[in-house]
Amino acid sequence: MGEPSQGELRHWHAVLLSRELKDAPRAVTVCGRELVVFRVGETVGALVDRCPHRGARLSDGKVHLDQLVCPYHGWKWKADGSGRSPGNPVARPCVERFDAVERDGAIYVKRDGSEVAFPAVDVSGYHHVHSFRVDVAAPLEVTLDNFTEVEHTGEIHAVLGYDTDRMDEVVSTVTSTDDAIRVHNIGPQKPMPWALRKLIRLPDDPRFIDDWTTRFSPVHVVYDQYWLDEAGERSPDHLRAVVFFNPKGPKVTELMVRLYSGQPPWGRYGVNALLWPVLGALGRYEAELDKRLIESLADKSPVLRGNQLGRFDKALIGARNRIAKIYRGYD
Amino acid sequence: MDTEVDAIVIGAGPAGLAVAGCLSHQGAQAIVLEAENEVGARWRSHYDRLHLHTARDLSALPHVAWPSGVPTYPSRQHVVDYLERCAENVPDIRLGHRVTRVSEVDDGFEVAATSGARELTLRAASVVVASGYNRVPHRPRFAGEEVFAGEVVHSRAYRNGRAYLGKRALVVGAGNSGAEIALDLFEHGAVPSLLIRSPIHVMPRDFLGVPSQYSSLRLAKLPTKVADRAALAVSQLVYGDLRPHQIRRPKEGAITQMETRGRIPLVDVGTIELIRQKKITVVPSGIARFTERGIVCDNGDSHSFDLVVLATGYRAELAAFIVDAPPLLDARGYPRTHGASCPERPGLYFVGFRNPSTGALHDIAREAKRVAKSVAKTIATSGRRGEGARGRA
Ligand SMILES: Cc1cc2nc3c(=O)[nH]c(=O)nc-3n(C[C@H](O)[C@H](O)[C@H](O)COP(=O)(O)OP(=O)(O)OC[C@H]3O[C@@H](n4cnc5c(N)ncnc54)[C@H](O)[C@@H]3O)c2cc1C
Ligand code: FES
Ligand SMILES: [Fe+2]
Repeated sequence: MGEPSQGELRHWHAVLLSRELKDAPRAVTVCGRELVVFRVGETVGALVDRCPHRGARLSDGKVHLDQLVCPYHGWKWKADGSGRSPGNPVARPCVERFDAVERDGAIYVKRDGSEVAFPAVDVSGYHHVHSFRVDVAAPLEVTLDNFTEVEHTGEIHAVLGYDTDRMDEVVSTVTSTDDAIRVHNIGPQKPMPWALRKLIRLPDDPRFIDDWTTRFSPVHVVYDQYWLDEAGERSPDHLRAVVFFNPKGPKVTELMVRLYSGQPPWGRYGVNALLWPVLGALGRYEAELDKRLIESLADKSPVLRGNQLGRFDKALIGARNRIAKIYRGYD
Repeated sequence: MDTEVDAIVIGAGPAGLAVAGCLSHQGAQAIVLEAENEVGARWRSHYDRLHLHTARDLSALPHVAWPSGVPTYPSRQHVVDYLERCAENVPDIRLGHRVTRVSEVDDGFEVAATSGARELTLRAASVVVASGYNRVPHRPRFAGEEVFAGEVVHSRAYRNGRAYLGKRALVVGAGNSGAEIALDLFEHGAVPSLLIRSPIHVMPRDFLGVPSQYSSLRLAKLPTKVADRAALAVSQLVYGDLRPHQIRRPKEGAITQMETRGRIPLVDVGTIELIRQKKITVVPSGIARFTERGIVCDNGDSHSFDLVVLATGYRAELAAFIVDAPPLLDARGYPRTHGASCPERPGLYFVGFRNPSTGALHDIAREAKRVAKSVAKTIATSGRRGEGARGRA
């Protein structure tokens, strides 16, 4: 086995945010493939970003009616992959096409003809706060490791995490099925600026719950984050975050992060709406801190053998098996 | 021997639990008879993907708040958990008791029920029917169904699309369930079509990030014609012209249709987005007959399918267990009287048989309070069916 399989776009990958795709086509890289994504009317098309004529980048072209026009010699391509050459009207060229769909504010692509379920995430009743994409220069597994383990949150994170000095109090419970791994963490919230604590209505010495489920077709994690007071009552604010992990290639993983709040923006007479920009910026900052750390690692090998693992690392091994089997498709 | 009680509530769904909860809040006692072995049976067996499409805070039953942590649109499981909480306020729920007959007797009603092999009769001055407007699946039969090689299920039996990866599926009926089941099938990797035979109104669940139910509540106060216009404006703004996708708007306004015919608009939770992207295909004509491999439509088109889901709705079928029901019911089989004792049969109440644009649960919460008050009053004045309620001396 040489390079690990990149999943070959068998799964629906979230590659762009809806707001990023306007009239002009966009180039995206996913699973080692370069694609062009473009809008035609109400639908989205995805083709390989390389004109089969003489190799121009179709993403440098323009959309005209229902066709993407190559910037080099003006051959025209439809989302179904069929093409026309203005200089040779009888020719029937074709280009590799991909399935594309727009849902929940993002654009997803997969290989044409691949029969897989769509990675539907339940955000019904949650309120969208902010979405962003960020590249991490590390393999898929190494990136996911950081995002599915809480022991680092005391050291690395600004707000969302546990107190390093009380990490021994954090209880982490892993439950797995064939296609999902759930990790439920509860422990003392790390100290938080007073103003922020008031803004999100936290009690004194709150317990922070970070409860996530990882699925592998494609690799994505849904996090539920909320707080309990001493009596075990939930505080009203809660967050749901959805993170898609897209390997651009063996050494770079792109994250698509979508943040939601369980509280409506019109709640508390609109105070919540004022909180949104703060939460959005915080989410971005926390992801940036993770990125910096991961990129600074001395060992970015996706192989765990030889590492001395701790009690918070149980889920990492299960995730590796499922990435190999479900995501990459090895038996 | 017959057991004498003050009040009987039939059904432990949201409506029955709401009425019984209000009664016990007022210190009155009722016996709740529930056919299934758990409360909230319907919500336990709805399809997995279902969430309330009405906002949590506008769908609360009296005296029970939604717990914190439940999002604006509670999931099916959230609703089930919530109904269990509601049941904690109701001391006497008899599970596994199916009511087979409600008849008028001298000074009240006789209610017959079966519990396993056992039969029992109860007598009460007040009976609240809360058996739900979606009691019995409406299952049309089609010519040639027996030769069809694929599977046909009613939406009540549909849980999720896990078994249908790569399968071609037809969902018949563009109500809320049908539209969402088509969406669910897409998410499970099936290739769905949705049969939309007649023109429909489509409303977004949210408008500008706020549940449309809030605007519906405001619209409900306006004259119908004005409300129709406002609803149309919203629909047009969000969806534009859907005719290229074979979805036509009725000439009659959305609110008029609801008021005169009880037809509710489709509350869209994402289906239209997929129809526009051609991920769900609209079949614009009814089924003339089934063939071995699929269907032939009234317009002559034929299509191949592996699965057909009949989201063809439900019937209340009240006459099945209420003796001499027809005078109490309208042409569609729903009770004429809501939130009060039937003038034709004082002491008999119906709760939960309307489906207004402002939300069924919202309506149930209001009706339940009124009904409980009326029942409690009857109990207080006589312990039997009161003079006032009876209306004849
Ligand atoms: C798919 C779907 C989605 C919906 N979504 C919403 C929503 O988002 N918001 C909203 O406000 N409304 C919604 N509704 C409307 C729905 O009607 C209410 O949510 C609610 O369930 C109605 O409560 P109910 O108690 O009247 O009826 P049900 O929930 O149907 O409960 C009736 C109960 O009576 C019992 N019963 C029936 N016959 C007998 C008998 N002979 N003897 C004893 N017990 C009997 C049944 O077993 C059942 O438990 C939805 C309905 C459906 C079908
Ligand atoms: S390279 Fe695209 S048209 Fe020639
Ligand atoms: Fe982190």
